[in-house]
Amino acid sequence: MSVQGFLHTIDGISTWVGKAAAWLIMALMTVVCVEVFKRYIMNAPTAWIFDLDNMLYGTLFMLCGAYTLAQNAHVRGDFLYSSMRPRTQATLDLLLYLVFFVPGIAALIYAGYDYAADSWRIAEHSNVTAEGPPVYHFKTVIPIAGALVMLQGIAEIVRCVVCLKTGVWPSRLKDVAETDVIEEQLAHSEYVDDDARRIAIERAQRIDETARQRGMGGELNT
Amino acid sequence: MTDPALGLLMLGLIVVVIMMGFPTAFTLMGLGIFFGFIAFYVPGESWVHNRVFDLMVQRTYGAMTNDVLISIPLFVLMGYVMERGALVDKMFYSIQLAFRRVPASLAVATLIVCTFWGIASGLVGAVVVLMGVIAFNPMLRAGYDVKLASGVITAGGTLGILIPPSVMIIVFAAVAGQSVVKLYAAAMFPGFFLAFLYLVYIIGWAMINPKIAPRLPEEQTRVPVPAWVRQFQAAYSRNMPVALVSALFSPTRAMAIKADDGKPLGYWTLFKNLGFALVPFTLIALTLWGVWWYVVIHQQVTVEAAPEALQQLGSPGLTPAPAAPSEAGPPSAFYTWFWAIAALAGLVLARYYARMDGDRLQVVKLLTSSVMPLGILTVVVLAVILFGITTATESAGVGAAGAFLLAFHARTLDWKRTKEAVFLTAKTTAMVCWLFVGSALFSGVFAILGGQALVEQWVLSLNMTPVQFMILSQAIIFLLGWPLEWTEIIIIFVPIFLPLLKHFNIDPVLWGTLVFVNLQAAFLSPPVAMSAFYLKGVAPSHVTLNQIFSGMMPYMLIVILCMVIMYLWPGMTLWLPNYLYGG
Repeated sequence: MSVQGFLHTIDGISTWVGKAAAWLIMALMTVVCVEVFKRYIMNAPTAWIFDLDNMLYGTLFMLCGAYTLAQNAHVRGDFLYSSMRPRTQATLDLLLYLVFFVPGIAALIYAGYDYAADSWRIAEHSNVTAEGPPVYHFKTVIPIAGALVMLQGIAEIVRCVVCLKTGVWPSRLKDVAETDVIEEQLAHSEYVDDDARRIAIERAQRIDETARQRGMGGELNT
Repeated sequence: MTDPALGLLMLGLIVVVIMMGFPTAFTLMGLGIFFGFIAFYVPGESWVHNRVFDLMVQRTYGAMTNDVLISIPLFVLMGYVMERGALVDKMFYSIQLAFRRVPASLAVATLIVCTFWGIASGLVGAVVVLMGVIAFNPMLRAGYDVKLASGVITAGGTLGILIPPSVMIIVFAAVAGQSVVKLYAAAMFPGFFLAFLYLVYIIGWAMINPKIAPRLPEEQTRVPVPAWVRQFQAAYSRNMPVALVSALFSPTRAMAIKADDGKPLGYWTLFKNLGFALVPFTLIALTLWGVWWYVVIHQQVTVEAAPEALQQLGSPGLTPAPAAPSEAGPPSAFYTWFWAIAALAGLVLARYYARMDGDRLQVVKLLTSSVMPLGILTVVVLAVILFGITTATESAGVGAAGAFLLAFHARTLDWKRTKEAVFLTAKTTAMVCWLFVGSALFSGVFAILGGQALVEQWVLSLNMTPVQFMILSQAIIFLLGWPLEWTEIIIIFVPIFLPLLKHFNIDPVLWGTLVFVNLQAAFLSPPVAMSAFYLKGVAPSHVTLNQIFSGMMPYMLIVILCMVIMYLWPGMTLWLPNYLYGG
């Protein structure tokens, strides 16, 4: 298997899990709405709903961590970073992945496993209400999410090495981006002149990148 | 090296390391593990048993069960759905028609759209790029000053992160341990006040110097009134409400007129148009009734219910906590003011309806179909939170469901867009919440090392007055806003200032609201303001970055002016939270 294939396989795993977990937000929305209806209109609140909300939210964001990493969507202080050459970026990233990333995530897997195992052993239940639902499966999410993020982290480390060798960043899987909304809004617009619309749609991604570099990439500095 | 000194080193390092561009969540996590390892080091113990790893897991679980953060994915989802569901260019077009007689009408419309759409979206980049395409070129073609045009788009585009419901405020609430609703209530007036100041500035400047914003040529401001309306007006009356009502009673002449699709007018068309004509009246009536209900009717119910609850508490020595002013029943001045405002609104409405011709009816129709759904959803979500009817999480959930309903209704949402909104929500939530995982460990270790005490001692030894401290802290945050994003500033640096506020008797709610406004200025400050570069990306090539920057400068000064006013007159920020929830 080529290196690129290996990277895309891992990206694919993280993305698949992340996208599957993303649908928990719809579950969370539904649960909250049903509970609002029950509490305020039927006057029959449910005791364990607070725990359920928390579990949906916690599982959602933990399991999406690897997906976010695979899409390079974790916020970076990219003011200086984005104007560096790819090799410099890769050197810094490689170093910091080994020093900062690996120990913290390893702790999530290793100490998280003990933490969850303890919880299973004592059959821990939530103490928010008297009859709280069990929380051991929720705590099990910690080592699982840690393992996923670690896997993606390994892919990122390989990316850095590839970039150090070739001088260009290996590609990522394509996914929706926040700037897509520009295309969607303009595609249906009736009152915008065509030229401006076409330019904006074509360059949306590029504009976003340049803006993040605050013009330090050169091109726009006029 | 002593522990507190290590803590300070940690704080100093974080600034340096963040600038190296590593994902901030993992930077915080890594520094926390590194320094925590030293802090927990016990000679002779195997390194795998170091307690920092357990702390890491505990802190992660803490972030997973943080009940303030639950509302983040829901609000983010609501934003993404609305952003994809609302049609911005229609909104811009109809608002521009509605304000066609106001000086600098295009700039005013831009600002209003930015405010509205910013409420929904909260993404600086997307708002600026879109408005750059939709509004910038028309403004330049109409002969507007480049500085005015670029300033209003960049300043308006950043408003979205300030005006509730904004994710920034939830993040601050989670960091500061303040209630989300209280902060929303506090940010309400300053947010709209800032938009109002922008508006005053634009209109004022355009009135002093009309050359910078010439009136649009007649053909661009003509309202597209359908042909049948003209015939209809000729047959009955120039005044549309009168004409519609009389047509309902004597429909023969109306039936003779052909509508646009060739069929004669029916009762349904007449009713629909009358309904549109009544929209302004309905909105004002509902608002007045809502105020009346909250202040007068709703309070009487709670006042009656209160004693029961107090008896159950049953601790005789305690005096009951003073009720929030909103629960103490309406003050006597309320009735005078209420009826005065109601009478004024009635007069304005009467004048408006007396002059409502075909043009105005058409504008109302356009506004109703483009702006109102978004506006009503936002107002309802905010009102439910602010009036304490539901919690922030519940309102966010209902708001997200409402956004879906509206988008389905407007037929702008298909399966692809739903998926996009869900995945983007997942990514944004994971980004913000993993940052919390990292910062929870970081602050935990910082607390163990005792760095905070050293910072406090040092700041207190400077013997500053509260005003000096306020200016110093805001200046530091302003400077940090240049290279960093708001997420990093609020999660990492705000917690350092928070414990100090008590020493200086500064209300954390007021201070937090000032930070929100402050970050607006940071986003508008040359030479690093991102919004300028977004606008430059879609602007015609003759517009230079320097022109955009000089266009932004006045707005930055307005933001600072707004902060000064907020500080001198804290009532603007604190009145609403104090009125609704007590001191």
